[in-house]
Amino acid sequence: MNNFCLSGGVRPASLAPRGLCLLLSMAILAGSCREQDATFPKVIVLGFDGMDPKLCERLMDAGQLPHLSKMRNNGGYRRLATTIPPQSPVAWASFITGADPGIHGVFDFIHRDASRQCVPYYSVAETIESDQGWEIGDYKIPLTFWPFNHQAVETKLRRGGTPFWDYLDEAGVPVRIYDIPANYPPSPSHAGHMCCLSGMGVPDLLGTLGGMYQFFSDAIVVARDEPGGGGMRHPLVFKNHTAKGAITGPRNVYDRKGKSARVPFVIHRHPSDPTARIEIQDQTIVLQEGEWSDWQEIDFELEMPSLLPNAHVVGMCRFYLQKVHPTFRLYVTPINIDPSDPGDQKISEPPEFVTRIADELGRFYTTGFQEDHKALSNKVFSDEEFRQQADYVLEERLALLEYALAHYNDGLLFFYFSSTDLQAHMFWWESDEKHPVRSPTEAAKYNDVIVELYKRMDQVVGDVVQRYGETATILVMSDHGFVNFKRQFNLNTWLRKNGYLRPSDCGSLLDPTKGAPVDWSRSRAYGMGLNGLYVNLKGRELYGSVDPEDRNALLSKITEQLLAERDPQNGKQIIAKVYRTDEVYTNPDAATVPDLIIGYESGYRASWATTLGDLSNEVVADNDATWSADHCIAADQVPGVLYSNHPITTNDPSLLDLAPTILTLFQVEVPQTMTGVTVFDRKDAVVATVGFPGKRPIKE
Amino acid sequence: MQPMAEWMVNILNWLLIAGGQLWFWTWENLKAICGVLWGVVDAVLNPVLSPVLSILNPVCVVVGDVIYAAIDLLPIWVGLILLSAGTGVVMLVFFRYTSNQTAIARAKDDIKANLLALKLFRDDLRVVFSAQGKVLLAVLRLQRHVLLPVLLATPFMLLVMAQMGIRHQWRPLHPNERTLIKMTMRPSSGKSTQAVLRAHPGVRVEVGPVPGGNQFVWRVRAGQLGRHVLQFDVGSTVVEKEFVVAKGLERVSALRPGADWTSQLIHPVERPLPTASPVESIEILYPSLESRVYGTDYWLLTFFVVSMIVALILSPVFKVKF
Ligand SMILES: [Zn+2]
Repeated sequence: MNNFCLSGGVRPASLAPRGLCLLLSMAILAGSCREQDATFPKVIVLGFDGMDPKLCERLMDAGQLPHLSKMRNNGGYRRLATTIPPQSPVAWASFITGADPGIHGVFDFIHRDASRQCVPYYSVAETIESDQGWEIGDYKIPLTFWPFNHQAVETKLRRGGTPFWDYLDEAGVPVRIYDIPANYPPSPSHAGHMCCLSGMGVPDLLGTLGGMYQFFSDAIVVARDEPGGGGMRHPLVFKNHTAKGAITGPRNVYDRKGKSARVPFVIHRHPSDPTARIEIQDQTIVLQEGEWSDWQEIDFELEMPSLLPNAHVVGMCRFYLQKVHPTFRLYVTPINIDPSDPGDQKISEPPEFVTRIADELGRFYTTGFQEDHKALSNKVFSDEEFRQQADYVLEERLALLEYALAHYNDGLLFFYFSSTDLQAHMFWWESDEKHPVRSPTEAAKYNDVIVELYKRMDQVVGDVVQRYGETATILVMSDHGFVNFKRQFNLNTWLRKNGYLRPSDCGSLLDPTKGAPVDWSRSRAYGMGLNGLYVNLKGRELYGSVDPEDRNALLSKITEQLLAERDPQNGKQIIAKVYRTDEVYTNPDAATVPDLIIGYESGYRASWATTLGDLSNEVVADNDATWSADHCIAADQVPGVLYSNHPITTNDPSLLDLAPTILTLFQVEVPQTMTGVTVFDRKDAVVATVGFPGKRPIKE
Repeated sequence: MQPMAEWMVNILNWLLIAGGQLWFWTWENLKAICGVLWGVVDAVLNPVLSPVLSILNPVCVVVGDVIYAAIDLLPIWVGLILLSAGTGVVMLVFFRYTSNQTAIARAKDDIKANLLALKLFRDDLRVVFSAQGKVLLAVLRLQRHVLLPVLLATPFMLLVMAQMGIRHQWRPLHPNERTLIKMTMRPSSGKSTQAVLRAHPGVRVEVGPVPGGNQFVWRVRAGQLGRHVLQFDVGSTVVEKEFVVAKGLERVSALRPGADWTSQLIHPVERPLPTASPVESIEILYPSLESRVYGTDYWLLTFFVVSMIVALILSPVFKVKF
């Protein structure tokens, strides 16, 4: 029956039989993504975030990536053009939709709300708080049932466009997606053949992208919330080697004062040995210095008015005993959504997909950023501790990959690795110049971690090729590459220096405590996010000052000046390209799209301060962060990679070609919105689908 | 919202909050009172029941071992159902001979007769009231006649359930499996007392003991297969605790209790620690037994459901009324 569905897929005119058999298969499968009998082509896509072609090529030439080299030798390797700008959410959204940012609407990690004069927000998902509810005492409780039908708190996926797998799903092709970025909450499967576990973008239980906790007994450090949602640090006071602390949980959404739930715990440390014991919610955790606990369930109780039972939100965390004597330090991971019991949090489609995985694998990280790079940046972790934690993440992912392969029969399997991106941000240093924070030997040592990681990923590829090389089309791809991040450029400071942002002593777009407030009536442009520049346009921005007819001239002037800007330290060009979004994007949403995308030269990037609208004294300064490599620069300087076990026949493939390639491999018609083309010769595409019941060439 | 409606909602909310607070206040106080009462009962019963259980428990464990050995060849869920059914029959017979069957029959007849009167004379208020009163009295009488045998049977049931618990509530550790050993000290033991777990092939200490909060806790891995006895040097005394490493299902003793009858009831395998010992109890966190029929917590449900159903079905056979 499913064969019939697919032949319908080749001839899109015959919609009726396809619709009928869709209905039938839906009835049989009851909307869940179970394995099916029919044989579909096998296509396996391994997505390595940030895998860099320069490093790959160097290592392949040195014979250090044997499995990837083999693909290259068979004609299955190209550099893969990335999106403008080459940021992960933008690039993955383009991979998912086969369309440029104009279509999917993700232009940067951070967008700004023009109607609130550039208040920033996370671009991929938004949480909509409910303003309805039954008000009783200090509480407000949404009654979501009839007859009240109050709106509950809801998280929405902001990414637009149609994911390519929707077309496969509709054609009856089984689709398994693991850890895909830019798809939280997961998009629905309309025909029930698609299972998806959301990756980058899944929040922790507090709603941030990963806020850790550190408890410490150092006398002089003060408790504080780490900047940028990096977590919280709390002091501990030991009395007879016993101390009390509490993990702060999610805000009580029913409490109008917004009190947060707390789970208290007691720590007993050994008077002299490097061991300690944590007593939390009937659980006892015994650890030696340097050890990690397993995942532990944490149950947060949200207080309700006295006549109602309290609500519960359950999450999980791991404890890492960093140090016991003389000062005590305990790291606690962000409270992750528990994959075995996600509660109301939908992190997979269908929701039971993730619980089925957890039934077999046990608990694993679910937050979007699993490698705790902020803990390293904030000096909660040492380099070595971060490496170890990142390695735990990779081990969990490899176990998940094993699960994915064991449960894969045919159709599409996509699997994502974050390690090649987040480890590279912290450890990559392909240069003899001075590293922002490490000594030359340390910089070389940790850059070798990346080399070793690439070798390990090569083994992973080799393993998949060995198991499926004969029967499946295997694609290994990355969304962008990597370069050193040596110097940071404050776009807003540059705009102020050149008279586009006023007054000349303004310190922040948003925070009036950081200097004189911005005079929007005299300011003509501002920067927000990692690559976006916005004109303060009348009719679009709340306090717009630039007439629409002056916009073009202004953009040309700014572009010219940006390209002419030189680093005072060494005279180098800072900005390689300035893209006009009305030229490079298809019909972007005028309210959210930046006017210009800044494409930095390699070695440069937007400064830390400017991304959220803060200015600094210097326009260009050294990057002083452990985050010492990046890719948010000119797109042509950080292409990704594309490998396959079949010869790639197009010369300059781009990320936008992958969705059409995959659809073509399943002989599903490529929709008009996808501008890319298949990277395989059409004859090869059919060879690639050997064993496919259709076995017919695709119509010209 | 209209001011009037808003006013009404405020009153309603206030009533609900006040009502809720009253309810909680009552509930908390009730709990506190029950706690105090239980403390008194416990203090009175313990000197009697603790020695009695010390004598009864070894006998029960032997009987339990014999019965479980007899059903050893059956799948464990069949065994549990057979045992539950058997307990149902025993209860039925017990009920037959401890209850006043004629009194129960009379009470039931009274209820029926007065219910009939209610139906027939529903217009005569006097009859209705007196019949209602009589039904209530008969129900109470029935309760009394049923309650007595149930009270008499309870100790027996508790002993049976304890025997099942040590075989269904936990499972032995598999070799190399990780767990915790928790030793709780008596408040009188003194802060300086140290505890040492002697080396034993059945166990490998990973971390600990970590002292604090009246406890010593070891993180261990199971070693060789076997029903081991671990020895702890605590101050000048030696304390022992059974420790089971097995691949299949065997009875385990999750806790070696002190001389406390409630703990002794739930953990009947090991001799209670003497009152003079510095140690109050030693616990081993055995893993749960994963099964929705005979595993942790579920076995109790299976036991109750099966024994009740069997008792109900067979009650006419044994001519028992309840
Ligand atoms: Zn990145």
